[in-house]
Amino acid sequence: MRLAFWLYEGTALHGISRITNSMKGVHTVYHAPQGDDYITATYSMLERTPDFPGLSISVVRGRDLAQGVSRLPGTLQQVAHHYNPDLTVIAPSCSTALLQEDLYQLAAHSGVPEEKLLVYALNPFRVSENEAADGLLVELVKRFAVAQEKTAIPSVNLIGFTSLGFHLRANLTSLRRMLQTLGISVNVVAPWGAGIEDLRKLPAAWLNIAPYREIGATAAGYLGETFGMPAIYEAPIGVEPTLAWLRSVIEKINVVGAERGVPPLGMPKLNAFSLDGMSAPSGVPWFARTADMESFSNKRAFVFGDATHTVSIVKFLRDELGMQIIGAGTYMHRHADAVRKELEGYLPGPLMVTDKFQDVSKVIEEEMPDLVCGTQMERHSCRKLDVPCMVVCPPTHIENHLLGYYPFFGFDGADVIADRVYLSCKLGLEKHLIDFFGDAGLEYEDETAPSEGAPQASNCHDSDSAGSSAVSSPVQAATEADGMSWTDEAENMLKKVPFFVRKKVRKNTENFAREQGSLSVTAEVFRQAKESLGG
Amino acid sequence: MMQVPGEFPIIKEDNVTHSFCGLACVGWMYQKIKDSFFLILGTHTCAHFLQNALGMMIFAKPRFGIALIEEGDLAKQEPTLEEIIAEIKADHNPSVIFLLSSCTPEVMKVDFKGLAHHLSTQDVPVLFVPASGLVYNFTQAEDSVLHALVPYCPEAPAGQKNVVFLGSVNDATADDLRAEAEALGIPVGGFLPESRFDRMPAIGPDTVLAPIQPYLSRVAVKLERERGARTLHSLFPFGPDGTRAFWEDLACEFGITVDLRDREQAAWEKIRKQTELLRDKKVFLTADTMMELPLARFLKSAGADVVECSSAYINKKFLGRELAALDGVRVVEQPNFHRQLEDVERIQPDLIVTSLMTANPFAGHGFVVKWSMEFMLVPIHSWSGVISLANLFVSPLMRRSKLPAFDKEVWLEGVMPSAE
Repeated sequence: MRLAFWLYEGTALHGISRITNSMKGVHTVYHAPQGDDYITATYSMLERTPDFPGLSISVVRGRDLAQGVSRLPGTLQQVAHHYNPDLTVIAPSCSTALLQEDLYQLAAHSGVPEEKLLVYALNPFRVSENEAADGLLVELVKRFAVAQEKTAIPSVNLIGFTSLGFHLRANLTSLRRMLQTLGISVNVVAPWGAGIEDLRKLPAAWLNIAPYREIGATAAGYLGETFGMPAIYEAPIGVEPTLAWLRSVIEKINVVGAERGVPPLGMPKLNAFSLDGMSAPSGVPWFARTADMESFSNKRAFVFGDATHTVSIVKFLRDELGMQIIGAGTYMHRHADAVRKELEGYLPGPLMVTDKFQDVSKVIEEEMPDLVCGTQMERHSCRKLDVPCMVVCPPTHIENHLLGYYPFFGFDGADVIADRVYLSCKLGLEKHLIDFFGDAGLEYEDETAPSEGAPQASNCHDSDSAGSSAVSSPVQAATEADGMSWTDEAENMLKKVPFFVRKKVRKNTENFAREQGSLSVTAEVFRQAKESLGG
Repeated sequence: MMQVPGEFPIIKEDNVTHSFCGLACVGWMYQKIKDSFFLILGTHTCAHFLQNALGMMIFAKPRFGIALIEEGDLAKQEPTLEEIIAEIKADHNPSVIFLLSSCTPEVMKVDFKGLAHHLSTQDVPVLFVPASGLVYNFTQAEDSVLHALVPYCPEAPAGQKNVVFLGSVNDATADDLRAEAEALGIPVGGFLPESRFDRMPAIGPDTVLAPIQPYLSRVAVKLERERGARTLHSLFPFGPDGTRAFWEDLACEFGITVDLRDREQAAWEKIRKQTELLRDKKVFLTADTMMELPLARFLKSAGADVVECSSAYINKKFLGRELAALDGVRVVEQPNFHRQLEDVERIQPDLIVTSLMTANPFAGHGFVVKWSMEFMLVPIHSWSGVISLANLFVSPLMRRSKLPAFDKEVWLEGVMPSAE
């Protein structure tokens, strides 16, 4: 047993409902106590669903348990009566898994036709969000996909696009635009927007595209084994990976085309992929060569996230923007080996694998990187430390569910990511100026008081969104806890350091003092530290 | 559906509602009691709930956490929490740790009382708080927290006659209530809970308990039974009507006769614009926070047509005055949401007060909605809360009337995942 605060992955039920909430005519009934209903709010609030998510709870109350009553058959009847779904997925919760009820029997008891029910009785103590979602998608594909004629024109399935996925709509749009430019049609997107009929016709496509390691790759694997469909598993994140992805799509489509006597596709002129059809498809290659970005080359980045984004973002930062990677990690234990393999040669040390956000926070605090690419959790850790952070994968906050077109995939995505890196980091030339001349009139930002608001109704606003306003109290508290005291003179010298690196300098100076066996920071210690650390 | 016998008819259904479990109370209770730590013995689900549904991730170092039951813990006899408690003490130095139950350990039949007793020390008591969603909805677990605090309220001697307000409100609201009572000549003993564990109010045979939140019936009964205290049965102090009744009745308990008719009139006058807008508006309240009855009563007094007021649990004695004031309104306990959905489509209410799960979907169906949870996070008590209370109902109506026309076919296309 351990003390947990925030978790990276949601529950199995969350994974299941992410699949079903993506789909047309599919309902989930979860056999669970009242509290599990919060799942519904994650869709209605984060995704702002204008209709009721297809989620119904078959409530388990203490009294029912005492009396040995199960409401599941009744709930299934109510759902059939009110919503008449093509398929109802029945899922257990942590509590009901312990009851060892026979969900199959209870489901049969409802009188709802068997072909309209799917019991997905996994162990919620063992399986979490992504594995449950990936597994359910496979179940659905196995149950419904049928062998059939291929489409006449080149076509692909886009697999693994799931409700609450990271920048999901924009990524889909980006892929659709590129495919359209290539002259390839989209046969089915699954599960996002798919109905049971769409699942049936999955094998009609020429090729499967499953860019997310977490969800969809297993289903694409199954379709490959069963129907001989080729697949592309790489995520087109960054300019070079996008080019490689396009070449791979063309090559695989042409293999199928050759068998069918369809003339091969070629790579169009790259400006065809741009938004206006007559420009460079991405600004990143030139941007990376500018003097502006050159001043970024000594910036140190740390990346932590799911498997797909950790791999892609590390590569993008190093290969395309020329930044230094000081470390990376993932919370996806299941995919850690694959991530390690992908990032061979990219990391100065071993890949961090943990599901404890405190561990990640500790690394960030020790390293004080110039940029952290992480999840919502790292955003919080970094805010506390005043370290620049951009969110690159789930878990997300409502702030990551924006209206505009901000894909991470494709050429458009490369521009979006590069812009965010640029906006998140302290600037290059400006930083030199401030370092050299002092505060540049920006001192006031340090005085901003931390704001601690009331709990907000479901993610509606982030009350400490005062942004990167420097929070001074935690540092002082930490200093006191460490027992490291500063003389007034040393404090005054510290005040002359630009505000946004002050915390880092304070920490480095204290580390230096500690190494020297000193318990306080005097002006002399400060000067020595400056000399020896080059600050 | 069945009729519940009693003076005022209530319809009772099967409790298929959209709402949170009792763990939700952690969201405000840990902030109210500033030297506390709330430890939930629960699963991944409990942690994911707290992290997502209440948007509580704004706190970098929260004074609550989950002792996570993982697969390997299921086979163990009793959970061992010593190390976790030590970690909490080292990091947070709390004066009290509340140990909250949740569904899974309840199913496992964990002996929470014994566990809390075993973990308690002289310096830092560990108090068991039943909060499991198998039994408690949303706000009801605040009742459990207060219940656990009772032994830490000193015994007030006989003859020490004063009022103790029941329910957690923010400090500004507490100051207001205290000042108002004192202005009326009512001696104030304090609040249960106060904002520090070592300052809980003394309660004895001459204490008058004045509940200021409508979901705290169990602690009131416990204090009546154990301390001989009296509970004020009045309206809850929301809106001009409720506030007047509350203070007049409370004063009466102290032998003080006050006539607050003018004060009430003046308060209604202050919200005349709002009540004019609310008049004859059809309002539907789905069950969520258990504040529904007093809110519906205020709406009725303000001239609105409350077409249904539903609540997860209705204590007929504790809410007796509110039920009487709601005479003629359709009141439903443990409602069925599927049925409500159909009724809403048929009745076409002008305003729906509803949960976080259902607000946006109702809006997507063309209705004007208000989050029920906002009524818990905005100071709406007593005279000073009247305008805020009225505005909470009126602002969505005003806002909607100012927005341009909306063609669902155009602006909702592809917005629902399953609609694409």
